[in-house]
Amino acid sequence: MNEFLMYLTNGIVIGVINAISAIGVSLIVGIMRVVNFAHGELYIFAGYFSYHLSASLGVPPLLAMPLSIFFIFLIGIGMERTLIRPTYGDEMYSLIITFVLSIVLQNAALLIFGPYPNKPPNLVSGATNIFGLYHYGNQRLLSFFISIGILLFIFYLIKRTWFGKSIRAVSQDREMSSLVGVDHLRVNMLSFGLGAALAGAAGVIVAPIFPVTPTGSSAISLNAFVVVVLGGMGSLKGCVIGGLALGIIENLGAAYLSTMYRNIFGFVILILVLVFRPWGLFGQKAQ
Amino acid sequence: MGNKQQAGTAKKVGIPALFIILAILPPFFLSQYWLHVMIISLFYVMMASSWNLIAGFTGQVSFAHAAFSGIGAYASGMVAVNLGVPPWLGILIGTGVAALLGLGLGYLCIRMGGIYLSLTTLGFSEILRIIITNEDKWTRGTMGLQVPGFFSEYSKANYYYLFLVVTIFLLIVIYWIVHSEMGLTFRAVLNDELAASSSGINTIRVRILAFTISSAMAGLAGGLYGHYLMLITPDIPSLGQMFLVLAMAVIGGMGSFIGPIVGSFVLETLSEYIRIYGEYHVLLFGLVALAMARFAPEGLMGIVGKKWRKEWVH
Repeated sequence: MNEFLMYLTNGIVIGVINAISAIGVSLIVGIMRVVNFAHGELYIFAGYFSYHLSASLGVPPLLAMPLSIFFIFLIGIGMERTLIRPTYGDEMYSLIITFVLSIVLQNAALLIFGPYPNKPPNLVSGATNIFGLYHYGNQRLLSFFISIGILLFIFYLIKRTWFGKSIRAVSQDREMSSLVGVDHLRVNMLSFGLGAALAGAAGVIVAPIFPVTPTGSSAISLNAFVVVVLGGMGSLKGCVIGGLALGIIENLGAAYLSTMYRNIFGFVILILVLVFRPWGLFGQKAQ
Repeated sequence: MGNKQQAGTAKKVGIPALFIILAILPPFFLSQYWLHVMIISLFYVMMASSWNLIAGFTGQVSFAHAAFSGIGAYASGMVAVNLGVPPWLGILIGTGVAALLGLGLGYLCIRMGGIYLSLTTLGFSEILRIIITNEDKWTRGTMGLQVPGFFSEYSKANYYYLFLVVTIFLLIVIYWIVHSEMGLTFRAVLNDELAASSSGINTIRVRILAFTISSAMAGLAGGLYGHYLMLITPDIPSLGQMFLVLAMAVIGGMGSFIGPIVGSFVLETLSEYIRIYGEYHVLLFGLVALAMARFAPEGLMGIVGKKWRKEWVH
């Protein structure tokens, strides 16, 4: 029983991080109908940045994390300005460009960081007894609380601020929103940066728990895509519920069914969603 | 007028015929090594041209094309190893399996739109790689599955002609589809989906059909490739391979008949030269493909010139 609770806790912790990563994809899909196939690579880069900043350059880990996320944000802005912006309205080219970019970044990561897994130092050590039932690593608990904090921040940003309002306006009706004075090019650029930053955030949070490798990126992208389709394209609530569901299913599945096929559970969910509820849990049926 | 038309027909038949005659010659003067490069290039011509059939002509970006070639290769290889089925029959079985899976995936995703097809095909490729790597009892995992070749006596020239014949066959089918009524509906769907569907074209059915045909072609190409190499590894259905195929079509020129053919020969030959300096060809091709997609979306064929293209594409 305690074992089961521990796997469940793992699932919830990973689930919240899944949600952050998936919101990064979902924001960009919702606003500009662009799927960022380089999502996993940004995540990996963030993990390596935070490793090298803290382990090689001696930046305190707590500072290295936001700094890495900020670098990824800038990379995202750069990507949007140079490569994505000219493809607006041409879905096919944006898919091709982000896919090619993912391969380029993956090979660049191999060249720059090497093929070996790297892991930034833990922020905390030891374990805490949870309700007298089982011990759980402090680093994982801290990751969980940081993730919750980031999720709350995103919800605040999107539901309560002027920037969030313009994001929602552009995703609902691009022409109307520009009529009422929203600069949608700027909104696109900033939301692409934000989407990238969220990939980075998930990367720096996970890296101390599961070391990053350049070849691990496609599994990470896929994970986010499954959550986005499961939750419904463009739905924030869907990302949270979908992320938790995938995290729990993967962890229980890996523990009780098969470790090797951890990544298969996500694909099975994707196919089931496409068969029975292709618009996802919280998506709009009419597209 | 009549003369002009006659001249046009003569050109249409004459130039491909000239190319076919030229294509017979390589085994007479190329070394074994360059003949191998030519065979691999022909494999990529099949892959890039059939990928272009869906991406370039119906606007659907599939990331499972290499995966389907892997399915063709492994299906044919496994029936050969386990049941002793001859490769000639095996590649047909592989083609059929790829077509069926293509139909299933296409049916599930295409009605939801292009983004869903791209996401799901990417997932499909990843999952296939994981299954092949883990089920090593059947697939021999990363060690690779040793399979018999087509000919009892190994000869690169024979393989070259076999690949040449199948490539020409696939290219004729693709040319025929693109210029038939079906091709017209493909282009109608690509140019304006709403107008096409309101003029009575079942856009979803057209796309599913194109996707199935293209996947079957990848399965056939993969089967041939596997029995030529006589060793089938998870590299065949990898995303790295998918990227090479995509880069060949994008750099050569998507949506043009000649583009992917030119792209395949250019990139495969180039990668032989670059390979000496290490595995940088992927990074280099990626950067070139990005620049092409950004600044010259019609690829090399677009750069070469409009007049020449006009006579060939439409």
